[in-house]
Amino acid sequence: MTVSTGRVVIITGGSRGLGAGIVQSYLDSGDRVATCARSSTDEIERWTNDPATAGRFLFRAVDLSNREQVDAFVKDVTDEWDVVDILVNNAGVARDGILALTPDDDVDTVIDLNLKGTLHISKLVSRRMLSRGSGHIISISSIVGLSGYRGLAVYSATKAAMDGMTRALARELGSRGIFVNSVAPGYLRTEMSHGLDEGQLDQIVRRTPAGRLGEPADIARIVQFLTSPDNTYITGQTIVADGGLTA
Amino acid sequence: MGSPRSQAEETIKRFLSRANKDADVTAETSLFADGVGLDSLEIAELSSMLEDDLGDDPFSVGIMATTVGDILDYYSAEEQPSA
Repeated sequence: MTVSTGRVVIITGGSRGLGAGIVQSYLDSGDRVATCARSSTDEIERWTNDPATAGRFLFRAVDLSNREQVDAFVKDVTDEWDVVDILVNNAGVARDGILALTPDDDVDTVIDLNLKGTLHISKLVSRRMLSRGSGHIISISSIVGLSGYRGLAVYSATKAAMDGMTRALARELGSRGIFVNSVAPGYLRTEMSHGLDEGQLDQIVRRTPAGRLGEPADIARIVQFLTSPDNTYITGQTIVADGGLTA
Repeated sequence: MGSPRSQAEETIKRFLSRANKDADVTAETSLFADGVGLDSLEIAELSSMLEDDLGDDPFSVGIMATTVGDILDYYSAEEQPSA
């Protein structure tokens, strides 16, 4: 096993899109990164097999809504690296559709993963952080949790709840050196744009003062700052990163 | 390495020192206001440290220990050989 002195970072949902961008960012900064997702991807295989990252990258196929699987994942990380310095709650699922027509199972799927899964892994990791008296928890929420979006009522509700969890946990854990923040991305070139056609994307870009969609690296840089030693006073906040769309 | 009970006792004293509490406790000492005066967050910290050091802890399995002895008894029970 390659010995690394980097921080230990858990990123949920790091197999693709924004999550993969955040994983890459922490690997680039020399940290030890554990991520989970339902299944592996080419990027996961690359990090697992690349000699530059293999010894400081851990992947487990985990359904975040399954508590036993999440328990085992966090245990594997602490068995391997003893501690958790940073948790990035990124995993999420969306089911779009008018609420009045949304099947109950879809409501459960989104809430079980986005909200209950996030609460559960935050509970487990905050215990490890409490034991050491330090740590950072970042949750990736969304501007739709702030502004809403037609057809995404359940998803928006879970993202707003993540921001609420962030504020409450910051108050709960702040006296123990644990910082808790969330980042609310706008429309990224990856996941949030998957259900939008070219016309809708063009309209979003026209309404965005920055004049473009966001990239995973835009968000990863904010997460890196919030979890760096340079952040000595920001906690309990939701940082909106949307190119000015909701300004 | 000592028994789980003695390890737990060491963990409790280490936690109390870290929390700037009186670590001179007995089994009868209350964890709350009429004893060492732990609040709910401090109980969570103690619970986490016990889990880190011993693999599990009474609070996480729903046992609401109120004295130092309640915690120690939890680990003593684990030492009993099964029938």
